[in-house]
Amino acid sequence: MTLEVQNLHVRTEEREILHGVDLVVRKGETHALMGPNGSGKSTLANTLMGNPNYEVTEGRILLNGEDLTEADPDERARAGLFMAFQYPATIPGVSIANFLRMAVNARREEPIKVKEFGAMLGENMDLLKISRDFTSRYLNEGFSGGEKKRAEILQLAMLQPEFAVLDETDSGLDIDALRIVAEGVNAMRGDERGFLIITHYTRILEYVKPDFVHILLDGRIEREGGSELADELEDKGYEFVREEVGARGA
Amino acid sequence: MAPNPHPAQSAPATASGLVEDRRRAALEVYESQELPTWRRSGFWTTSLRGLDLDALEPKRYEAGLPELDLGDDAHSALIVQRGANVVHTDLNDDQIVVMPLEQAVEEHADLVEAHIGKRLPHDEGKFAAGTAAFWTGGVFIHVPNNVQVEKPIQVVWVIDEPGTAQWAHTLVVVGENAEVRIREFFLGGDFDGQALHAGAFELYAGTGAQVDLAHYQDWGRGDVYDLSTRRVEVGRDARVKWVPIHLGGKLTKQTLDIITAEPGSDMRHTGMYFTEREEHLDLFTTDKHEAAHTTGDTVWKGALTGDSRASYEGLIHIIPGASEVDTYLQTHSMLLSPKAKSDAIPSLIVEVDNVKASHGGTIGELDPEQIFYMMTRGISRAEAVRVLVEGYFEEVVQRLDDPGLEELVRRRISEKLARAEDQVREFIGERAETS
Repeated sequence: MTLEVQNLHVRTEEREILHGVDLVVRKGETHALMGPNGSGKSTLANTLMGNPNYEVTEGRILLNGEDLTEADPDERARAGLFMAFQYPATIPGVSIANFLRMAVNARREEPIKVKEFGAMLGENMDLLKISRDFTSRYLNEGFSGGEKKRAEILQLAMLQPEFAVLDETDSGLDIDALRIVAEGVNAMRGDERGFLIITHYTRILEYVKPDFVHILLDGRIEREGGSELADELEDKGYEFVREEVGARGA
Repeated sequence: MAPNPHPAQSAPATASGLVEDRRRAALEVYESQELPTWRRSGFWTTSLRGLDLDALEPKRYEAGLPELDLGDDAHSALIVQRGANVVHTDLNDDQIVVMPLEQAVEEHADLVEAHIGKRLPHDEGKFAAGTAAFWTGGVFIHVPNNVQVEKPIQVVWVIDEPGTAQWAHTLVVVGENAEVRIREFFLGGDFDGQALHAGAFELYAGTGAQVDLAHYQDWGRGDVYDLSTRRVEVGRDARVKWVPIHLGGKLTKQTLDIITAEPGSDMRHTGMYFTEREEHLDLFTTDKHEAAHTTGDTVWKGALTGDSRASYEGLIHIIPGASEVDTYLQTHSMLLSPKAKSDAIPSLIVEVDNVKASHGGTIGELDPEQIFYMMTRGISRAEAVRVLVEGYFEEVVQRLDDPGLEELVRRRISEKLARAEDQVREFIGERAETS
């Protein structure tokens, strides 16, 4: 069971951003995709989910062998893909609880029973140390950065996807919030699920140990390795990868 | 002169000389004026060219309660006018008066004469004159001093046949420190052909009164022209919350004014409209402050599908002497179709220093980022649109503070969206590709 990206080329209206990305995430694995600002990390995350602002000009996205390259975002979600947004949209007039119920029901034949939903919600809120009155608030309206990220992880926990992409979930979090979010992610890791953690910094990887690390630079994956690669990056910064690439090209 | 199709003489002879004088004076104004056309800013016109007024007539009906969906059956009183006459009155609270205005002219002449037309001059235009001259049936509500009415008073105007001319007048007098909820409904059938509702509504809230007022207009698919003026006067330390809901009508031209007339009076005016097909809506509201230390808050939200047109102009008017006023007005309009056209104009006339008054207006579309976000959670595009539009209106709907009526409004919004699903999808799709 895999999430597979093959030779992915992606452009916006202005320019091509990804120039042929290959990536395979198997269930049970946690991958970190690291890169400096502007390297194309968020483009990859958004393209995986089918954001209409990005156009795939070449390559494919496969989930368990099924080609999702042209699928609508809701089909991808129902197929088992999830993204925690870096900047989630505000949904005025819709409480978190109602939104979650709608999202949970979107992937079920029969609507979830009120009691079952309540129990599941309570359990996950405890896990993420979220107070009970939180879910009656309109989704992301007036939320702090930390609250938004926690609401994203709460959705992740409620939807139990097969593959989850976390787009810079760590940015803007203080250390306590980061720890809570990381614990939430760790609690969800297991054989049934694959993670792709997209981040600029190595900080979150101290709490969520990746099995594989990929370094994205200018729209290409330039280095790959185990979790030790993140440590190397922590010591040397992105410049060392860039220099290596330059040396290779020379 | 052409024979008058709405003969004033069809109204009953009444004991009130004042009301009769008003009818006669209004008739002169009505007959001396041409059919109006409302133009604004050079590009917005509301025209009655399509209305065949001479083909319409007041239709009278036998007593009986028509089938109605009011969201909520509980009421302290229910009064229903179908066409030209009141067909049903049900009063469950002997502290209050709810009866046809025709009857009140006889039985409560002093109260009627003291209030009728006080804020609704009979010469304010052809249709204001028309209602003053031709109204029949009508509704009178009196909540005496210190009376608290728990269940709402429901007033219903029904037009269910083409060719109907309904000249309407509702007069509400709320006494000192009284508390009441009033819901006025305007309901039509899905008939083929034209009809007219020309309405006058006036409400006087006495010192310290608390009034929760809602208007619910859903004229259905018949070609109903609604030309109405509604005015609310808020007395000293009184509070009026007013929620007008506009869910349909071939052409609606309305003036909705709320006047904080004495110190300490407060108004909350929160309205919505949702136009579809070829509907044309032209609303003008005024938040008028006539006294110092008055407060106000106006929020209007609209959405448009099809080829519909909706214009909302909201004015804050603070007259000389009305210092220490604190008020604001906001209007938003959401386009859901490439062919719909909308106008949202907040404006301000402040004739005094030392007040707080602000206003804002936006015309927008659904945000593709919001739709994408919801779809990544497995929610379909149509469902996402429905949820976003309902969420957008929720601020207004919740102000009704009336679960049954709220559900009725939500259901109607959702039905309108379902009817427009294809065009909304196309609209969003087009914009996603060009963004």
